Amino acid sequence: MSSYQTTNGTSPASKPGRYRRFDPNSKVLIGPLLITPIQILLLVLLVFPFMLEFFVSLTEWQPIYGDIWTALGQVFTEPIYQGINYNYLVTDEPRYLSALGRTLSISVLSLCLEFLIGLGMATIFLKSFYGKRIFFTALLTPMMIMPVVVGYTWYMLFQYNGPINQVIGWISGDAAGSGGVEWLNSATPAFFAVVVTEVWHWTPLFFLILLSGLNSIPANPLRAATVLGASNAKIFWTIMLPNMKGVIIIAFVIRGMEVIKLFDEVVLLTKGGPGTSTETISVYLYKLAFLDFRIAYAGAAAFIVLIITVVLINLMLKPIRYQLLEAR
Amino acid sequence: MPGQKFTWYNGIGLLLALIFALFPVLWMLSTSFKPSDEWVKVPAVWVSGKPTIDNYLTVLAPEVLLEDRGGLDQYDEDGNLKQRSDESSGGGAQGAIADFLTKSAWQSIYGSLILASGGTALSIIVSLMAALAIARYRFGGNFTPFFILSARMFPPAAIAVPFVIMFSDVGASDTYWGLILVYAAVTVPFATWMLKSFIDDLPQEIEEAAMMDGMSRWKAHLFVTIPLIKGGLVATTLFIFILNWSEFLFALVLTYNKVSSIPVQMAKYFSATEGLLYGAQAALATVSIIPLVIIGFLIQKHLVRGLTLGAIKR
Repeated sequence: MSSYQTTNGTSPASKPGRYRRFDPNSKVLIGPLLITPIQILLLVLLVFPFMLEFFVSLTEWQPIYGDIWTALGQVFTEPIYQGINYNYLVTDEPRYLSALGRTLSISVLSLCLEFLIGLGMATIFLKSFYGKRIFFTALLTPMMIMPVVVGYTWYMLFQYNGPINQVIGWISGDAAGSGGVEWLNSATPAFFAVVVTEVWHWTPLFFLILLSGLNSIPANPLRAATVLGASNAKIFWTIMLPNMKGVIIIAFVIRGMEVIKLFDEVVLLTKGGPGTSTETISVYLYKLAFLDFRIAYAGAAAFIVLIITVVLINLMLKPIRYQLLEAR
Repeated sequence: MPGQKFTWYNGIGLLLALIFALFPVLWMLSTSFKPSDEWVKVPAVWVSGKPTIDNYLTVLAPEVLLEDRGGLDQYDEDGNLKQRSDESSGGGAQGAIADFLTKSAWQSIYGSLILASGGTALSIIVSLMAALAIARYRFGGNFTPFFILSARMFPPAAIAVPFVIMFSDVGASDTYWGLILVYAAVTVPFATWMLKSFIDDLPQEIEEAAMMDGMSRWKAHLFVTIPLIKGGLVATTLFIFILNWSEFLFALVLTYNKVSSIPVQMAKYFSATEGLLYGAQAALATVSIIPLVIIGFLIQKHLVRGLTLGAIKR
């Protein structure tokens, strides 16, 4: 008889007060073990860059000054540097503020258009008609194309000699094509060109989300309303819309999160031009850091943008937090 | 409203939506077959009368194309031009084509394949573990899932500066492994949330039964949970592949010449030729979206779940 069997069948590990073996299988440990890889990945590639950006933004470093780490050391020894970039940003950089405002207006305008078009398409797809499945698939195509290609495709379409001006010419009866719009070379049309591109790219997502929302509306109230003779408009406003509130919020939040980062399409379509008239905040930051090489200054601008976006997105997420966590 | 007849104005709406959705794609397709004199013709050529595959050859097999035009340009090992083969055939779009000949798009296609597959694999492995911890053990309460999501909140352009500093310091810029790490970090939020929603759909009792029969927790997850969410796992993998394949900004700022990806190559063509290489770019664009469209249609059912972080199931 070994001494193990004298302990009444309980294993040594489970005895209180004694040394507990490392057991990766225990319910307490498996959670942390499973989550560790992602936490390491995000610490290295999210939290660390975030902090680095903050410290870089306090310096006046540029690539020609040499090693960045000495510049970072100066942040602590020479407090004169601190905040100088931020001061300058707020007082002397109208381009920054207008890029922020422009990003916001592009986002709001294109989200509203996407919502309206998507809703219209979704209501059509509630009915049954011939070839519904194929049309459905065809309408989803834009969503699957990568942003860079979307930007270039619309760049071709918006050329002065391009098909869009040609169609405008046909409609206005001016087939010679002299009355076309300089889409990409004048400020206001270029702004709308960006909006149209964005709307084209992501309306299918609104369509998908809204269609799934419309399909999940309980059938009984709808049938009752129809039998009682309610008009279509009335059914839409009093039954459909309230039932879709959650879905609509999700659509706006999810798209809002992505549209404020708008970069790829704009770079290929207008490069932020003409002048700075279609510069979104991402394009502006990119130009500042990688074309002008004002690294520290770009860091300050970007740090403010990071704070704004994270706060903004968290505010937007608030109404659907619970819905996201408990989605079943 | 549901159950009502399809009316003529519904038909018109549908037709307009279809034209809006498909016209740009068809235009790109049509341009990719146009010979270079039809790229900027007035009035615009809608469908070429004399279609050619020269554009695809320019992008994919420039040697073939150049044999007709007096041989390839001579470059030394560093990629500098030693001798232009035929100056007279240059000029305009043709000259611009010649500038890209030694660096055909294959480098970027291989690059995209390596980066997207590597990034997807890493992202899926890491996310699957995290999704299990969140869905089954509620690890980190409500904070962790939203912390993971914050990787998606940062605009790439706003966080690119520290990335470039970090990467050049550890020698990771212009390498595949460095970019693969970045690709994974940007896509883990979508992967984790999507996988979490698939695991949430699966009753916990199944794993508990397996554990009751003597499996350890790890084994139960590996041999019971994962096979049961196989469909969801495949859909998530393909979805993440689409996202990685399209990634642009990080690839743009973290690569120089050894590593390239299709979006970066598109942008290079664009800026080097002022966007004038219409046909060749359309050809490259067509080639690059073929896998996306195929994958997209395969996982059509799950797209909405992926893009809404699992909030909307179908």
